[in-house]
Amino acid sequence: MKCKFCKFLLKFCGIFVALNVGLFLIFFYDLDGKLLFNVVEPFLKNHYDNMERKDVLKSPYEMDKFPKYKYDM
Amino acid sequence: MANIKKALRDFWYGKPHTAEEGGRRLGELYEDKTGLLKHREWRGVKDTMYYMYMIWGYNYLHMVTDIIKYSNNPLDFIKGTWRYRWMGQTYLPVIHWFERGLQGMRGEALAASAWHYRAMVSASLHQMCNFFNADTRLHGGKENNAYKHTIYANETTCGTLFYPWMDAGYQYIPIEMIPYFVTCHVNSHTVLNYIDAVQSLGLPGDPCPMCQAESGLFVLDDVPDSAPIIVTCNEACDASVSTHTLQDWFANKPLFALPLPMQFDDPLVKKYCMNEIEELWKFIEEQTGVPFNWESMKKRLELQNQLQRDEWEKWEVDAKTPYYPINGVAQALFRIYSTQYGIQGDFWHEASEKVKKIMYKCVEKKINTFPKTRHRVIAWSCAPLYFSNWCTWAYNCWGLNVVINMDSLMFDMEIRTDSYENMLEDMATYHMWAPMRRMAVGGMHHIFELWEYMERFNCDMVAMYDQLQCKGMQGVHGLFEDEFRKRNIKAFWMPHALPDCRTVSRAEIRRQINDYMTTVMHEEPLDPSLLDFDDSMTW
Repeated sequence: MKCKFCKFLLKFCGIFVALNVGLFLIFFYDLDGKLLFNVVEPFLKNHYDNMERKDVLKSPYEMDKFPKYKYDM
Repeated sequence: MANIKKALRDFWYGKPHTAEEGGRRLGELYEDKTGLLKHREWRGVKDTMYYMYMIWGYNYLHMVTDIIKYSNNPLDFIKGTWRYRWMGQTYLPVIHWFERGLQGMRGEALAASAWHYRAMVSASLHQMCNFFNADTRLHGGKENNAYKHTIYANETTCGTLFYPWMDAGYQYIPIEMIPYFVTCHVNSHTVLNYIDAVQSLGLPGDPCPMCQAESGLFVLDDVPDSAPIIVTCNEACDASVSTHTLQDWFANKPLFALPLPMQFDDPLVKKYCMNEIEELWKFIEEQTGVPFNWESMKKRLELQNQLQRDEWEKWEVDAKTPYYPINGVAQALFRIYSTQYGIQGDFWHEASEKVKKIMYKCVEKKINTFPKTRHRVIAWSCAPLYFSNWCTWAYNCWGLNVVINMDSLMFDMEIRTDSYENMLEDMATYHMWAPMRRMAVGGMHHIFELWEYMERFNCDMVAMYDQLQCKGMQGVHGLFEDEFRKRNIKAFWMPHALPDCRTVSRAEIRRQINDYMTTVMHEEPLDPSLLDFDDSMTW
């Protein structure tokens, strides 16, 4: 029983340390920034550049669509 | 032995600031062009761990929890990221934005400045979620409850004006604050698409690029459809009148144009402005069917006044002691953002409380938060959005500590809540003191308030922003030159083009400051590695 608990504790500590070391490496070497700059942003840019967009210039300027707002000053 | 001692000291406390002390050479941490870091600075055990867990990790985590907190359905947030360029490209490098603003900071200055950033991120996510909760484009064209309870307004129309409807569940979204203003700070690449979109229609490229970018959002059909009504204004200058016309065309919604008077000292103009505000309120009442609620207004104004009083408390410490823990960029952005977005959550007060606590610790223990300060600088006029973190660079490189700036001082007032009449009068003043208006294009008396603030904050140098495409401020360039000479004030000019980093690069801005510091001030840099580096492709 005791040994089982020790094993669990060791495993827990091992995972905790490994997780923190991994996080530290990502943090210290700016790996998140490098991934976002070199991979994610170019991918998203490509997506946004090729998106179909409405040609807003073709929409009429409906100046009389809404009732004229009258000032009451 | 001495080397081992130094290595141990550097490991425990981080490398010292200056070259003479065997300094940290922050410029060598950058990768060429991209501005990415080869590795982050080792700030000593305590500060590196604080940065990793309480800034980097904490903010990544809270960027996710904020979405869960503010979003009706987190899936909408993902859909919004996929649909809008300003969203996808802005959200990604947020932590790098922290890095740029906090570089080289240690101890209390690092912690307190990061709380300001944290509040701004939370407020941004609040806005983004509000956009997407209500956006008909993400909900199959359906006008849901959130849509029906949203009011769109131009970003320089202060959020304060919409408090009376908040108890009834209404929210105000400044249309351009996230898609334009915040993107420029976080990722300067995004806005260029919108500027180019406007120019591709044949519109001229020489007006203010802010107006161009704000129109460009509509030209590229990149504005969510999240509100049934819209309030526009002429912002600080009349270039924005054209923006408003394009917004009227492309948004195609009931619209109220709320003017910002150019000359605001005249009592008759103030009366006119009070009438305009009341007309706006009447417009909202008619469109929403919900009457003006004084209690809703008063409650939030009192919270806003509390935030202002907090700021005055902090400014007292800033002006009179070396114990103020907020750096130049964190102070300016927090102030302009909180005063414009208004009280729509508890993020501003939470950050302010935390910062006050840190500040009083510094006062009590006499912690000099910026110990390498050589000059106390006041930054005046409108800052380059793509290089708002220049203050951090200037402190690290030259010991120029920007203790106060125009953006922080624009709304230096409380709004009275003892009667409707007093509130309206103060509200008119607050509205007329809009960003870029009061002390930039708001008339001779106000642009020259610089001298009073210099004295009040005990400054010995002026960083004078020179927005090359602002016709208003270009017109007074010579007057400032004359006054600087007459008053024997040390001042350097910083040319820029607000959001457009192609017109004047960050490297060029740094070069101008370097030239001034070497040829006029005859000073040596604290960290020579920061004098010249290529970050032309950086966010």
